[in-house]
Amino acid sequence: MTKILYANDLTACFSLWRKEGMRVLGPVSKAKTSGFGEVQDAHELDLNLVLTARTLKELFFPRTEPMFSYSIGKQKIETGEFLPSENACIIFGARPCDAAGMAIDDELFNWDYRDEYWFRRRDRSVIITIACKESDDFCMCTSLGLAPDSAKGSDVLLRPLASGNGWRVEELTPKGGKALQPIASLLKEGSEAAAPTAEVPLLFDLEACTTWLADPENFESHFWKEISERCIGCGTCTYLCPTCHCFDIQDEGDTYEGIRRKNWDSCSFQLFTMHTSGHNPRATQSARWRQRIMHKFNYFSDKFSVNSCTGCGRCTRECPVDMGVRETLQAISTLQK
Amino acid sequence: MSIQEQYRSRAKELLREGTVKMVIGYGAGTTPLRRRPIFITSPDDADRLVLDAACRTNLAGYLLREGLLADQKSVAVFLTPDGVRTINILAAESQLATEQVIVLGFQIDGENARQLEGTRVADFSGIIAERKKKRKEQPSHEVARKLEQMTSVERFSFWEGEFSRCIKCYACRAACPMCWCRRCVVDNNQPQWVNTSSHTLGNLEWNLVRAFHLAGRCVECGNCSEACPVNIPLHLLNRRMTEEVLTAFDYYPGADEHQEPVLASFRKDDPETFIL
Amino acid sequence: MSEPFEPKIVAFVCTYCTYAGADLAGTSRLKYPPNVRIVRLPCTGRISPMFILKAFQKGADGVLVSGCHPGDCHFDHGNYHARRRWTAFNALLQFTGVPEERVKFSWISAAEGIKFAELIESITEEIRTAGPFEQYHKLIAETGSAASV
Repeated sequence: MTKILYANDLTACFSLWRKEGMRVLGPVSKAKTSGFGEVQDAHELDLNLVLTARTLKELFFPRTEPMFSYSIGKQKIETGEFLPSENACIIFGARPCDAAGMAIDDELFNWDYRDEYWFRRRDRSVIITIACKESDDFCMCTSLGLAPDSAKGSDVLLRPLASGNGWRVEELTPKGGKALQPIASLLKEGSEAAAPTAEVPLLFDLEACTTWLADPENFESHFWKEISERCIGCGTCTYLCPTCHCFDIQDEGDTYEGIRRKNWDSCSFQLFTMHTSGHNPRATQSARWRQRIMHKFNYFSDKFSVNSCTGCGRCTRECPVDMGVRETLQAISTLQK
Repeated sequence: MSIQEQYRSRAKELLREGTVKMVIGYGAGTTPLRRRPIFITSPDDADRLVLDAACRTNLAGYLLREGLLADQKSVAVFLTPDGVRTINILAAESQLATEQVIVLGFQIDGENARQLEGTRVADFSGIIAERKKKRKEQPSHEVARKLEQMTSVERFSFWEGEFSRCIKCYACRAACPMCWCRRCVVDNNQPQWVNTSSHTLGNLEWNLVRAFHLAGRCVECGNCSEACPVNIPLHLLNRRMTEEVLTAFDYYPGADEHQEPVLASFRKDDPETFIL
Repeated sequence: MSEPFEPKIVAFVCTYCTYAGADLAGTSRLKYPPNVRIVRLPCTGRISPMFILKAFQKGADGVLVSGCHPGDCHFDHGNYHARRRWTAFNALLQFTGVPEERVKFSWISAAEGIKFAELIESITEEIRTAGPFEQYHKLIAETGSAASV
């Protein structure tokens, strides 16, 4: 016997959470794109999506974030802060790959200093993930050591029932358990079977890839130019990646008043590494693509013992010239043989 | 022989003879419906080329890859008439020499790719003149017509909604063959005319600057809308600009390689109905 | 009681004609509303559309761009180039919902002090009637608030 949450009870569930002062967010399809947004009613959710176009990370690491404001008057200088609120929120219906991405970035944002912007939002949020029963041509979680029902990064995991009427509820963290308390009356004991999880084929041998990448001989390999010749450096892959986290600090305003902001940035951009002198250590697009792959599967894992890719496949899915992590790692796998 | 076979053997021949050092074309993509740009340098690889109705990307921008044309050798590119217009504009803006470009012309008609006769961009001037005529008769986009009916407050709200989801990845800029500036004006920070942040104001400013800079240069190839990861209807802005220069100045971008850029030229009798 | 709305208007003018026209308005003791801030540039050809966006970004309710009459440009054809640019940019602004009364273009010569004073009077009145450019001001205000989610 396990706890079961029926889809019919979802709206009631949301209002119970709201009664406790928690906001509810979930996957929504709106205005020709999909991402996570606040919802009042279960009907607003789009739970049929394999994956939202935009990732979970935007909830914790918005694309532009004011850090502080300043204004200089005749008599005084004023500054203001913009720390995110600590109001609790429930994120309902994340996917395992996205949730795993948040856990990966926790390491990064708590390495040489603790990023308050990230952690205030992380600490206030409960991630309720729904295991995938469907996948598409671009999904590759299994190749990255994850699965359509990975628990990593989630506080609660829901397994869809075979009947399609609801989910089996698995409490994963104390935070998740606490979030389930207000809705305990809606969780029914039951033994209904879960639907089988999606079958995501193995696309490459990750171990072989990381070994190849770790070999300094391959850093200057011709491979990089060939695999990324068509890259236009648009940065879509990084902005839609659940783990890409690079940002830039920008001052907007003038001498007298303005705001310092934290904005997304991307290693795909020429400007990312451009020096003031005009010299660019990553002068070519292939060097930039190499950086992205190396960062995910070598530098990051060296530092934090985990690859910073969860196999969501968005890089390939959304690439205007049909590139992506998948093609590159598949190609490296074949180089090995 | 299918059109794909014809073009494969033409590409093979061009490479074997040494007429071109590279053929830029389309290859199979990750899924059966996707195509990707490929760069063929050896005749043996020409069989990887694919040509069908799924080949939509305007490949002309790849010619500006740093150093590609520096050795004066020629490159063959798969181009639609809009692609050929792109080459004309790039030539008019001194970004390349048309002598270095061999055109593998094609056109998509419904479900089929059709061959277009010609090897040099100049060979397509008839087709382009025809397109200009058609463009003049073409009604505005359905959404654009709806927008024109709205009040300015409603129009502003429409665009505010569209731009609010822009993530400023600049994929539109990267995908546009016309955006060849080494350093885009929005990347300059002294002075910084428009906001670089991706709040709605910054997004609105960016998209206006982009659309304006493409006025009279956009060939409406659709690369920007296609690349936009959040599906902003960028083509509406570009099309509006195209219609403006067409009606106000009888200007159709990319008519030939000697055409003066519309915003870098003038006529003394240009219309000025709105000037007080 | 609330104060009557006083619009902020930025005028980008060329130094040879419109600025001289404004000067003439002043020396002729012509009265015109103090709502306009004049930014003097060498020629209308130097006025980039980004200047207009900057003015709105800084909270302007309206913008005027003005220079020499066609044929009178000190640099021979700067204003002809400007005219083409304005045509395109004006169409773009209207298409994106910037109301027509908020951006005006004019030719005012050094001899047209009266035209300058009257134009400032009329566009100030028009924008005063229309009220603050609230839709734009809302976007400006949003830049100073943390992301909602």
